[in-house]
Amino acid sequence: MPSYRFGRPALRANVDVQLQTAFSDGNWNAVIRLAAKRAATLKDPYYEVIKVCAEAQLDGTAEKVAVLAVIDELVKNKKTPDIDTIELYEWACRDFFDYEVEYADTLGPLRVRWAKANPSSPLALQCLQACLERWDLVSAQQIATTLDKTYANLADRRYMFWNITLTFLLSISPQCTDASRKVYSLLALRQLERAADVTENSSKLESTDRGLLTEEEICLYYRVLSSHGTKEEYISRLRSSKLGAISQLKEGRKLLFCESLNALEGWAEWDLIYNLCREALTLGLEGSTSPFAVCDLQIWKKFALAASKTTDLESALAEVQTTLKEYIDIKDKASEMYKKNLSLALLETTFRLPATTSNPDHDNAGLSPRVVQIGLFLDQYFERLSGFDDIKGYVAELSFEEAKTLMEEVIPKILDENADKARKIVLKALECKLRYLLSTCPQTLSAEPNVIDGETKPKPFRCRLCNNPASLPCETCLKKLTTEASNTYKQITGDQEILDSLPRLDRDPRLDLALVMGNSLLKLSGLRPRTSDAGQSLWRDVEPGSFLQAVLLLDIQLRETPGDTQLRMLLVQLYLLLGCVSYAYQLWTPLDVKRTIQDSLSPLFFDRICTLSPGLFRGTRPLMEPLRSFYNHSLIDRSPVRIWDAFSAGSYTSILDMVEFDGNLRRSCTLMMTLVEERRAIRCYGGKVDCEIEEHPLAENIDDSTTLVAKTDYGPFANLESLHGPPIHEYLRLGPGLSNERSHLAFLSEQYIDLLSYKPPKDYRPSKTNEVALRDREYTLETLSRLSNSLTDFLHKPTTPSRLTAPESTYYTVLSLLSAALLIALSTPRTEPVPDTLSLLMSSIKSAFGSLRTGFFSSPSAQQKQRIPPACQSLADMHTLSHVRETALAIKHSATFVLAFHEKELARDRSGRSGLHRDVIAQMKALNELAGRALVEVKGHMLKLKEALGEGGWLDRLLDLVFGSDEEQQGEKEDEVTRAVSEVVGGRAAAEEWAGKVIESWREGVKGWGMVRME
Amino acid sequence: MANFRRFRPDDLNKLSKCNLDPFTETYELGFYLQYYAKWPSLFQVAEDQHGNIIGYIMGKLESSPDVYRFSEHYLPWHAHITAVTVAPEARRLGIGKLLTEQLEMAADANNAWFVDLFVRVSNHKAIAFYKSMGYSVFRVVKDYYGEHSSDPTLSSEDAYDMRKPMKRDVKKEHIREDGEKYEVTPADVW
Repeated sequence: MPSYRFGRPALRANVDVQLQTAFSDGNWNAVIRLAAKRAATLKDPYYEVIKVCAEAQLDGTAEKVAVLAVIDELVKNKKTPDIDTIELYEWACRDFFDYEVEYADTLGPLRVRWAKANPSSPLALQCLQACLERWDLVSAQQIATTLDKTYANLADRRYMFWNITLTFLLSISPQCTDASRKVYSLLALRQLERAADVTENSSKLESTDRGLLTEEEICLYYRVLSSHGTKEEYISRLRSSKLGAISQLKEGRKLLFCESLNALEGWAEWDLIYNLCREALTLGLEGSTSPFAVCDLQIWKKFALAASKTTDLESALAEVQTTLKEYIDIKDKASEMYKKNLSLALLETTFRLPATTSNPDHDNAGLSPRVVQIGLFLDQYFERLSGFDDIKGYVAELSFEEAKTLMEEVIPKILDENADKARKIVLKALECKLRYLLSTCPQTLSAEPNVIDGETKPKPFRCRLCNNPASLPCETCLKKLTTEASNTYKQITGDQEILDSLPRLDRDPRLDLALVMGNSLLKLSGLRPRTSDAGQSLWRDVEPGSFLQAVLLLDIQLRETPGDTQLRMLLVQLYLLLGCVSYAYQLWTPLDVKRTIQDSLSPLFFDRICTLSPGLFRGTRPLMEPLRSFYNHSLIDRSPVRIWDAFSAGSYTSILDMVEFDGNLRRSCTLMMTLVEERRAIRCYGGKVDCEIEEHPLAENIDDSTTLVAKTDYGPFANLESLHGPPIHEYLRLGPGLSNERSHLAFLSEQYIDLLSYKPPKDYRPSKTNEVALRDREYTLETLSRLSNSLTDFLHKPTTPSRLTAPESTYYTVLSLLSAALLIALSTPRTEPVPDTLSLLMSSIKSAFGSLRTGFFSSPSAQQKQRIPPACQSLADMHTLSHVRETALAIKHSATFVLAFHEKELARDRSGRSGLHRDVIAQMKALNELAGRALVEVKGHMLKLKEALGEGGWLDRLLDLVFGSDEEQQGEKEDEVTRAVSEVVGGRAAAEEWAGKVIESWREGVKGWGMVRME
Repeated sequence: MANFRRFRPDDLNKLSKCNLDPFTETYELGFYLQYYAKWPSLFQVAEDQHGNIIGYIMGKLESSPDVYRFSEHYLPWHAHITAVTVAPEARRLGIGKLLTEQLEMAADANNAWFVDLFVRVSNHKAIAFYKSMGYSVFRVVKDYYGEHSSDPTLSSEDAYDMRKPMKRDVKKEHIREDGEKYEVTPADVW
């Protein structure tokens, strides 16, 4: 590692004390003076180097960059400076790397030359490390090759494998030229093949032999082979007696076996997968490996799947069953985990068997072997927390008859009458979850004629469980499920014996029951996946009563079980939908999403957060600081974090994985979200962003061709849905999740805004104003052209519409149109007619913006007003309002930009020839007015919202939505479901505190919006 | 339900089931990657059928710096368990035990004398778990933890340094029966 990483490098020991002291004190003027003297007296060029490096520490630009010129000269002249000089130069340039200076063009080649000239010096290794730290793979590969040649046939095998690994990394890196890529690919592959042959042909490999010895070396070979070799070569080697997957497994090395199964699956080599799994599992039975070494569920699943795809399906599946049976015979020796894996493997194989094999006589279609197996599994595991997740996929595959039998005949018999009360309750909670699951399965419905007597039926199916007309899910069944779950819940709370036994259960069954009720109520409310076509205001397609009942019930449950993250995460999403952002943040904070897990989990709260509640950014601590700090800390160097550790430990597969991970992190959609949300919030309150987004160190190297990676972790959601429909998180998000398309559009939109808001520094007074004006105009036109093309390209990708909410789609469309319009406006000479395209663009802008405004500001229908107060409509749709504002501001700033340009040109060129066409000016003024009117409208709306929330009676209004008004309750209009919810939450009075929090959070959000700037 | 395999960096995007549990600490990226870089075979995970990580163990192989070779506290080549965690939904299935056994196998494969770990003296459940796996207390590290887990009036808590001998320690030279009686300070622990 270069010594300057920990401060200034040490000067050579023979340098006098006076100069040493001045250097260590950072007294640069003294260093320059003394070094110049010593250089003249001693004729030692080293003092010239010290002088130049000290000059680079001064403030003047000329002195600062002089060192770069010296290095450039050294590189061009093919000279090899000594290592002390290199160290000093590297230290002096440290702030230039990755910006003004590329390491690979400067210090990298110098280090290569030095290492080649001094290959056996221990400092050559330091040169390799320095190049790796700067991620200069070209230089690092050359040094590694030199070291490998120098230390060939030594017991330290790392030199050989550093060389190969770096050659491979270079071959897949953008740093490699296209011309060299093939050469490096072949080089890495051939070196490893040679090493593999040495291993295969040697009876006993010594550490000095250039063969493959360690697990890491062997796996590196297979990784390179799968990337640069052929499938046939890979498969052939996989079968070999020494380096094959099975022989490695015999030596206790499982990594290759697991990796090869994945590679083979990618090639659909099912016969080979089948054989490998069979052989591996047999090893355990024979005692060649520890018995359950490969008894992972994934292996069993692959074994069964591969068997079901072989030509001789029946005998292959029979073999799977035989092997499984042999394992079951010895399962008493296994740990609980493997016992469970075996039980699941049994289920898996039963489900993969063709119906003709598993139930040849079609006896009792309901109580099929599949149902029997699920029953047997539940006998053992129904009390386990993961029991439902383990079987839900299988239950969703059952036919209706099978499912009915499972629910009506098998599950009720799992416990007898005299069983423990708590166990019975746990089983009941599981049954409720399974009933909910089945409500999401299409086999519970039968099709009915869509049109009867000329009338289209709203529900074209009949539920096979309750026999009522239905659509998926069946409302009648969900209502019934909610009331039954509520009864079970009350049974728990009303029985001290059960309450006392809760601590010894895997989890409180009330939590499961609350989740079933909550999910059922959400479905009953009409909540559907928040895809791009979902109405933006929650209340346009969601019935408020049921939705709020779900939120209330789950919130009350959280007080009972505050440590449950699934419930907390669910509530966070629901409050975000509801517009209670500050309350959602209160619930989010205890989850303690910090450090490494932020990249995957932060989008669950922070995505689109600025559009919901910019006021949240006005807290005492910068909201996005932990995220920003995580990225700054993790991506500060160009090299992947800890990569040298992996090199020095000889962990070659770790190197490859860390490089891939690092690449994904640098292209993370969450990273882009972090930058964009914060910039938008800063603008909301008139703040100044640090730098243009394109110049941001975290966004360097991101361009249109970069695929941004979304890695959001939806693991923390309790998903009771079947695979027949979308998972629960898709119902709960504000809109489509993070994506490459949306992240790019956000990035481009910020670049557009940067262009509009650019102001030269106050002290910038160019002497050649005309020349500068021309260059500025050229730059502006080039940028507009690039942004217009890029925005259009991303908007026109077939996948894009499904990745955006409707307001986002309008915003980005308007920005794309604006950039095109500005390009025409600024590039059309005033003497020439304005192209018709400009009018077309203008009318498209007005029309798109008009639709967005109308959609938001149109008065709710009488029916809607009756359902929910108009203020609530807006509160759950701040995302749209925010986009009305952002779009209006983009329009306003675009028009202002053009008008200011015109004014500036008039001032510069009194002839008026360089000004803009009067039609352009007229169009821009019209746009400006349009945007101004919209912003007044937004401001007015905010005021109305504030007034509305300031009125009294909100508590009652909200509670009326949940429980119905007093008249409705007294008139016994209260429906069964509302009564069930009321009983669980403790009635209307007990819900007052909750209602207060909701209203307070709305008020807080609106207060934050009240301070948002509208200009 | 579970698969056991070596950790991959991408698993860091699937840690929620373990790391949202308040008893599991989340570290900086460099901390996880350091272990993966240096001791990949000692960083094992258990994953569920959806790829979520439901348990993991991080360990390292090391000896005390040479400068301490003649110190009574010198630690010869050994494996150390840095962190082991199992998601709430995957507990009581022996996953912690299996992960620990896998680390022990890696320790044996690397010719370690023993495996050691630190545990709060008040964490009776964990102590019982490790004892059931053959670990014993080697020494007590006074005031090792900066805060007490259950008593807010105390500003520190002792740790047990527990050990299990590996195959290399045929004569069981690196364990002792009455380790609870040997007290050392945090400065004696490297």
